[in-house]
Amino acid sequence: MPEIRVQNLRKSFGASTVLDGIGFTVRDKEFVTLLGPSGCGKTTTLMSIAGFQTPDEGVIAVGGDVFVDRAAGVDLPAERRDLGIVFQSYAVWPHMTVAQNVAFPLSLRKVDKRTARGRVAEVLELVELGAHADRYPHQLSGGQQQRVALARAIAPSPRVLLLDEPFSNLDAKLRERARDRLKQLQLSLGLTTVFVTHDQDEALAMSDRILVMNGGRILRDGTPEEVYREPGARFVAEFLGQCNFVTGSIETGPGGGAVLRTRDFPDGIAIRADGVSASGAATVAVRPHDIELCGPDGNGAEGTVVESVFLGDHYRYTVAVGGARLEVHAARPVAPGPVRVRIPPHSAVLVD
Amino acid sequence: MTTLELPATVRRPRVPASFGQAAVGALVVGLVVGPFIPLVYSSIRSKALYLPGGTFSLAGYRTLFADPAYWTAVKNTLLFAVSTTTLAVVGGTLHAILCTRTDLPGRRAYGLLLTAPIVVPPLGLVVGWLTIYGQGGYLTQLVSRNLHLPVWNLSSIPGMSLFGAVVTLPIAYLTVRAALSGTDSSLEDAARSAGAGPLRVVGRITLPMLRPAMLNCTVLIFSLCLEILGIPLFLGGPSGIDFYASYLYRSWSNSATPDPPFVSAGAVLLLVVVSLLLFLRSRLSGAEQRFVAVGTRGGGLRRPLELGRWRRPASAAVGAFIGVTSVIPLIGLILMSFVRVLTTLEAPWRLATSDNWRAVATDPALRRAITDSLLIAVGGGAVSVALVAVAALVAHRSRFPLRTVLAPTLMYPRAVPGVILGIGFFWTYLMFTPGSLVRNNLWGEAIALCVRNLTLAYVVIQPSLARLSEELDRAGRAAGAGWWTIARRILLPMLRPALLAAFVLMFITLLGDYDPVVFLQKPGTEVLGVTMLQYWSTGVQGPVAALAVIQVVLTAAVLLIGARALRRASHA
Repeated sequence: MPEIRVQNLRKSFGASTVLDGIGFTVRDKEFVTLLGPSGCGKTTTLMSIAGFQTPDEGVIAVGGDVFVDRAAGVDLPAERRDLGIVFQSYAVWPHMTVAQNVAFPLSLRKVDKRTARGRVAEVLELVELGAHADRYPHQLSGGQQQRVALARAIAPSPRVLLLDEPFSNLDAKLRERARDRLKQLQLSLGLTTVFVTHDQDEALAMSDRILVMNGGRILRDGTPEEVYREPGARFVAEFLGQCNFVTGSIETGPGGGAVLRTRDFPDGIAIRADGVSASGAATVAVRPHDIELCGPDGNGAEGTVVESVFLGDHYRYTVAVGGARLEVHAARPVAPGPVRVRIPPHSAVLVD
Repeated sequence: MTTLELPATVRRPRVPASFGQAAVGALVVGLVVGPFIPLVYSSIRSKALYLPGGTFSLAGYRTLFADPAYWTAVKNTLLFAVSTTTLAVVGGTLHAILCTRTDLPGRRAYGLLLTAPIVVPPLGLVVGWLTIYGQGGYLTQLVSRNLHLPVWNLSSIPGMSLFGAVVTLPIAYLTVRAALSGTDSSLEDAARSAGAGPLRVVGRITLPMLRPAMLNCTVLIFSLCLEILGIPLFLGGPSGIDFYASYLYRSWSNSATPDPPFVSAGAVLLLVVVSLLLFLRSRLSGAEQRFVAVGTRGGGLRRPLELGRWRRPASAAVGAFIGVTSVIPLIGLILMSFVRVLTTLEAPWRLATSDNWRAVATDPALRRAITDSLLIAVGGGAVSVALVAVAALVAHRSRFPLRTVLAPTLMYPRAVPGVILGIGFFWTYLMFTPGSLVRNNLWGEAIALCVRNLTLAYVVIQPSLARLSEELDRAGRAAGAGWWTIARRILLPMLRPALLAAFVLMFITLLGDYDPVVFLQKPGTEVLGVTMLQYWSTGVQGPVAALAVIQVVLTAAVLLIGARALRRASHA
């Protein structure tokens, strides 16, 4: 399966810019997620690849085929792009049975009846719907309908699979199972996949690579771990889980590493970053579960627990440190009142 | 899983979809807009178009303005329109509130029966009313001759307005009911919690919220009143009261010079007025609310407003209203078709006769009227629904560049007076050579009737289409299907219930409609409505009643079958 190349996509509706120079490459068999809040341009990007929206500028190509090249006036109709897509609403045709839905793309390609029947059975087996071939969509649950849509998308062996928030209409329990199933399928078939979601858990769990988008731009491009640990931008840090931000000025610490100096943390905060050469004002991001709390006699900055909430597998504390408020997740209970707050070395990262 | 070896691409049709879309678009626009061009043209010529030596002239307009009968007709029409509209809107609103917001006993059945005048063929109701409440009507005679009481005059402007209000009341009722079911009843519940009694809730909350809907149906009913033809022809005839449309019709058929330009001039003026009203209405209401949404379910309050001791009297009043306006005239109509003459001087069974029905069965013109109308209703209905369905797909589900023109074009024919469309078609058939192919046979009338009622098929199909998510077509395109394939294999099959409903509505309407063809009918190409009109005006009453009964029975049968088929279709 070929790679997808997207270059410099731009699109605006009236005065609002939806895509502001999007560019990325999806390698063969790679699972890439476009992650961002609603309105960030992720769905517009996906629909531009699928051919349901035309960017104002830019190039989209899959393998050697150019789908869109605005400068050259190329814009291949959606029906000639040979892609598989699963929509948010699944868009399973209600007047056709499960088997008819899956067979539809095959019938358009003039596949002979016997081959088509075999293929439909094979694909339905793959999504564990073999027993439901003759049912109508309204007789199926939401999760089953989603699998019909998936089966229909992969039946003609498309070059690329596009997924537009396919789990957003499932309830939480089902979602996790559907997620694992889809990931397994993608791996075993080696499908080159572009996935759109606003759910960070889905993105982290499934992706080979995540592109975090906001305001029509790609803010961060990396593996799930890279994106989570080194968000780079304040928005990315906040969007992928909770985050505390501390502002101060950067200095070179005793060990040669960079340290953030701030009034509230007299010892400074060691920054995990290689070759930070910047100095002056800066902001670091610290995940709530990285911060350590200990009794008033311990080491660290002085703080006060002002609120505590029990959340089952952990406690969430709001701790006042100087003028700032930090969110801290801890496995063990901490008494309200004065505490010491420690930010372990290398858990703080610099953000814009 | 293996990778399937597939042909590289899907085979493409040789003709691109945009050609077909353009053809459908051009056909619809041509059919709807076409007739108006010769109409306007003929109004500014000095002679009928087919006569030699005509010049451009405003003589038609001058003749019209110089005719005192024209101004009388204008005055009558305005009087009629104002009083009818007032009565219909007040009555319709009252009934809508009673049936959806209160604990009126029998409100569900009433809600259904109140819409009857829409589905009963219009002429059937007119004939029914005449046989009961007309000058020689049964109840009129009973009151005047047997009880020696002063009596009403159905042929006066107040009388005709009353009947007009009965016919148009369902429009107000349905518009207001749709608005009521669309508004959150908790707004009214909140007022009750604040301490307001039922009357105050209606007066202070419900009615003010309904203002846009009432204004909307006021303009709609008013513009319908301006074009009404059947009422003045049937009811106004005895008193010689003409309305705008009947003035045009009578001037046309009684004129010394055939096909005079001043009739076209009158039609053009009415067209301008009605188009202005249409524009006004589109400004008043959102584009969606433009036509009455038949079949929306009335949303009741969680706890309906209590009428208290007025419950039974109110229910009796609504029941009496339905009885007097619909049930009794329908009984009268059926009775009329089985007697020589309906009179209080003799018991009806002494006058029983089967002559009326025998006339319908033997008179070739009457027989033709039935078969021709059925042919148009079935064939024309099917073809119109097919055309409108594809046109709606072009308008809403294609990237055809001129698609935005189609939706307003499909709405227009029903918004302009039927007689005007009829005159337009008359000239179109005369002026253009292809027109002569249809001028002297049933095709001409069938086309005029179908074009006039395209709108009805559209207003049924369009909302259903709008409910189908666009992702369903996109999934088809992603699978490799082109526009026609998606239309044929995905969208149209899913629209099946709407197409069936549209066909039922088209069938009923085509069977009863006659305005657009009063100028087109020729011996040998009779349709029901015009034939009834012509026979009635020569004093033949029994067979006309029999024809009206046939119309009512056919309509009821198709409605019942259609409803059953629809239930089955929506279950599947």
